[in-house]
Amino acid sequence: MIQYLEKPFSVEESLESLNLFLRKWFEKKYKVPTPPQRYSFKLVSEKKNVLITAPTGSGKTFSAFMSILSDLMNLSLANKLEDKVYCVYVSPLRALNNDIYRNLNVPLDQVFSDITIPIKKITVGIRTGDTPQSERQKMLKKPPNILVTTPESLAILINSQKFVENMKDLKYLVIDELHELANNKRGVHLSLSVERLREIVGHDFTRVGMGATLSPLDEAAKYLVGYDGEKERDCYIVDATWDKKLDFLAMSPVKDIVNSSDKAIDNSIYKIINSVIKKNRTTLVFTNTRSGTERVVYNLMRRFKYGEEHIAAHHGSLSRETRLGVEDMLKKGKLKVAVSSTSLELGIDIGTIDNVVQIGSPKSVARAVQRIGRSGHSFNDVARGEVIVTNRDDLVECSIMLDAARKRHLDTFTTPKNALDVLSQHIVGMSQTKKWSVDEAFGVIKNSYAYHNLPRSDFISLLEYLSGMYVGLESRRVYAKIWYDEKEGMFGRRGKLTKLIYFLNLGTIPDEVAIDVMTPDNKWQGSIEEEFLSRLKPGDVFVLGGKTYSFNYARVMKAYVTPAPGQVPTIPPWYSEQLPLTYELAVEIGRFREQMAIALGHAREHGKKMLTMLDRSKLKPNEESRKLLDSLPVDENAKMAIFNYFAMQVLYAGYIPTDKMLLIEKTEDKEGERNLLIFHSLYGRRINDALSRAFAITLGEMLETDIAVNITDNGFVLVTEQDATVSRKDVDMLVSEVGRSNMRQVLMRNIRRTEMMRRRFRYNAARSFMILRNYKGRKISVRKQQINSQLIFKAAEEISSDFPIIKETYREIFDDVMDLPRAERIVRGLISGEIGYKLIETDVPSPFSHLIVTFGEADVIMMKDRRKHIRDLHKQVLAKLNRMMK
Amino acid sequence: MRISDDVEILDGMPVLYIKSLSIIVCTDLHLGYEGVTADKGTFLPKANLRHIKETIKRAVELKRPKGIIVDGDIKNEFSQVHVEEFNETHEFVNFLRNEMGLESIILIKGNHDNYIERLKEPFRMQLYTQEALMDDYLFFHGEELPSSKEGKMLIMGHVHPSIAIYNKLGVKEKLKCFLKGKLKDGRDILILPAMNYFAEGFSVNMEKGIGDLAPIFRKMLDVDSMEALCIGEDEILDFGSVGQLRNIEL
Repeated sequence: MIQYLEKPFSVEESLESLNLFLRKWFEKKYKVPTPPQRYSFKLVSEKKNVLITAPTGSGKTFSAFMSILSDLMNLSLANKLEDKVYCVYVSPLRALNNDIYRNLNVPLDQVFSDITIPIKKITVGIRTGDTPQSERQKMLKKPPNILVTTPESLAILINSQKFVENMKDLKYLVIDELHELANNKRGVHLSLSVERLREIVGHDFTRVGMGATLSPLDEAAKYLVGYDGEKERDCYIVDATWDKKLDFLAMSPVKDIVNSSDKAIDNSIYKIINSVIKKNRTTLVFTNTRSGTERVVYNLMRRFKYGEEHIAAHHGSLSRETRLGVEDMLKKGKLKVAVSSTSLELGIDIGTIDNVVQIGSPKSVARAVQRIGRSGHSFNDVARGEVIVTNRDDLVECSIMLDAARKRHLDTFTTPKNALDVLSQHIVGMSQTKKWSVDEAFGVIKNSYAYHNLPRSDFISLLEYLSGMYVGLESRRVYAKIWYDEKEGMFGRRGKLTKLIYFLNLGTIPDEVAIDVMTPDNKWQGSIEEEFLSRLKPGDVFVLGGKTYSFNYARVMKAYVTPAPGQVPTIPPWYSEQLPLTYELAVEIGRFREQMAIALGHAREHGKKMLTMLDRSKLKPNEESRKLLDSLPVDENAKMAIFNYFAMQVLYAGYIPTDKMLLIEKTEDKEGERNLLIFHSLYGRRINDALSRAFAITLGEMLETDIAVNITDNGFVLVTEQDATVSRKDVDMLVSEVGRSNMRQVLMRNIRRTEMMRRRFRYNAARSFMILRNYKGRKISVRKQQINSQLIFKAAEEISSDFPIIKETYREIFDDVMDLPRAERIVRGLISGEIGYKLIETDVPSPFSHLIVTFGEADVIMMKDRRKHIRDLHKQVLAKLNRMMK
Repeated sequence: MRISDDVEILDGMPVLYIKSLSIIVCTDLHLGYEGVTADKGTFLPKANLRHIKETIKRAVELKRPKGIIVDGDIKNEFSQVHVEEFNETHEFVNFLRNEMGLESIILIKGNHDNYIERLKEPFRMQLYTQEALMDDYLFFHGEELPSSKEGKMLIMGHVHPSIAIYNKLGVKEKLKCFLKGKLKDGRDILILPAMNYFAEGFSVNMEKGIGDLAPIFRKMLDVDSMEALCIGEDEILDFGSVGQLRNIEL
């Protein structure tokens, strides 16, 4: 059973549960336990599974570890502490592992130096990808009592026959930063490792999960503890997130964010950041992308003469040494400001931060809370943060986000379920350790929360795939990674190479193909993703590292460009590293839009006159809208900017779209060359991804044409060629047609031809060990794997449309990339009338649609069959050539 | 599509038919491809040989030729004869001889065909290590220059030609194509697209350095002057000259 604990134990009850020596040390150092500790000391000492969520500085580490150390102390005093692993600690970050290692050794050193009788000391050891071979060997002979590791290293350890002997008496498993794991495949991978570990040691162990807040907590707890057969394991939930006070504000850099130039906005943003930096000793700035981080550092240095001793960037693309150096300088209080994309958001020890500045929307309430929570030293301090918005939609989004944070409305996460790629890896791993009966192995797998409802047929299809049954008998020698006897229902090891395949290829983080960007003189300018390159055509202008370049041509893994200073980008920046807006937050923004629509309702009647007033910034919010704006945690600039933005939309387009009223806008692009059908569906990218494609496919079928889509959090656009216009009647028919059809089936019909499918399929093929990164001791660069993914996909499809990697690709697209169930619910709402829709026609896109048209993720829905497709292309080329002749 | 009274490109196929010789011509099969890539860690589902067989079957049923010429690179690996290559070549030759009833199987040796001599006897293939002159036609693979000055039409493989075009919605389309043109000395030349399923081809109108790939483009032949005849679903479409297709924007 999953149980929430509302009332902490008393201080005495908590301390009482500790070993005496440890208690003395604790009281001397900290006096009293923090709120989360007043739950956890006692629970963990009673060997209860616990999930603890709490902000930085709340003594989270000791919440989990104090009782564990205490138990091991008692063992040591009773002279029963052996050279065995009693506790495994897993975190997603190596940097965090180093911190934990240090933080555990501090009390251990002090406590043991106080004890005069000769007893065995509790040992702590780190095992990650960085651990040298010699250390690993030592660890095998003399294992540490507490093993600090990563999900990937744990997966390796449980496959080491010798090392698992050392874990047979395991008592505790601690998973840190659980919020970074429970919602993705990396966490799914870990959950299987944990259940395999449980099977290997042959008994249950106490599980402690820690992390920043996430919702729903009971799902997170289920992820932590899993199942014992059909029975859900017990777990207590301790939610101390909100015990730290947060003080935050959304700020608009300018009063009129719609009409101000990019330059004016930029200037003001940096001025604000600088004023915050000046007021504080140490400031932490968060951006949403790595390139953003670089840009901010560059600008602060250039504009305000900060030197490298004052300011530093910290993100995943930097070398480990650089990152460690930055962390160290922060800890010593030497840096004035550190700028980070995501890497400093996790619990690495970085000393005291006075203030957090977030630039642009962090896209989720939970992430906003966590990032701002990085400031303020102790639990009793107030965490201070400013969110500076960068554009009009960002402004509304951040304002509502902070309002939701204040109301403690959190967005929800989901764990990917029944991911077949991750399971492939573990089946290969399992087959190496012993001969399994299919039933027994299936039982172990189903104990993971992520696989509890796995259909047996999926499991069998993986065994078939891994045993090479998709190629002829004579090729299985090379293809098979496991031995599988269908009749006996047994599987196990096959081939000498497989052991290494598992060790060298496990993990879930896909290899990105980085394309080097070069100028004609062969100077390296930076790198772009392969997918971005595939969208570039000669002459396109794009931004890289804050500079603009014009694309010439690509060759092998290089893109050749010419610097194009001052030119306007013709292709939006690539947002694949940016996270989608969460549904819950999207809906809150939709509600706010509705309230503003009501408050501004009268404006429509005054049309022209008010528009001129607005132009001269003389238009003031009326009483209702003033009240609404005042309810938000934002500065005055932001209030006026929001007001102007909404007023402009209502005056220009007549309507403000809300979560209950879908505005569909028919318009043209600048040159009038292409028709745009803009859907103001503010539901977040995951839902819009599904909606846009369903609408595009249906419309494409109606008009027999290919359609380009552009997808953002706030809506999507369907782009058709000039001669394929859409009438009002078409739109009505389109909505009813989408409403009538089965969305999953509609998407299935077409998604196999999209760029997204190709990319995802390649990732899944790699994670399923079909495309290896490392084989026979050779590293295989992604470049060498560059066989057109679509052709591999087609070849796999010819085997069966249920081929596990194809099935997983669809699952990932529908469940992880998209949010299909919610998209379906919205379409049902459109049909039942619960959500209304309104079609308007505009000469140029309305204010709310500017960013939908210019930013976002692009894809093309190909509707024509291949024959017609090639013929049309042929016709167009000939027509073009004819025109050129004249 | 007819190239001359005697030569025809079969609709929708990377296959040539020469009436006077009663043969079909294809190139760059790279048999054993999946087996070789599997050895390097990419375990592709098998598709190449099956697709090639289907295409050959269509061609044979259409034209009833007596023989087949593979204009180089029947197999994939440079350095040796891989076991999968042996198996697939064996299966392919049996298929041609027994199921398709082709009397002569002629192979022009390509740069991937090292050690192919070992297969010559057991598989009863005719093998030309450099080039083959048959009546008016000079067959060669293309990684080296042809030495013979004879032959009215040269037939080459090796470069896997295709063209790439951005459509109106900004998507890059790649189509395998035949290249038809004239050498500077006035002889006709026809370059065949690769038959391999996984080979997308070298975009002759976009990528640079075709001269590094095949020396014939250095002095004897201007790629821009060649005509791109693309393979459609069940037809061949003339897309005009390569030069015109450079930087074309629809």
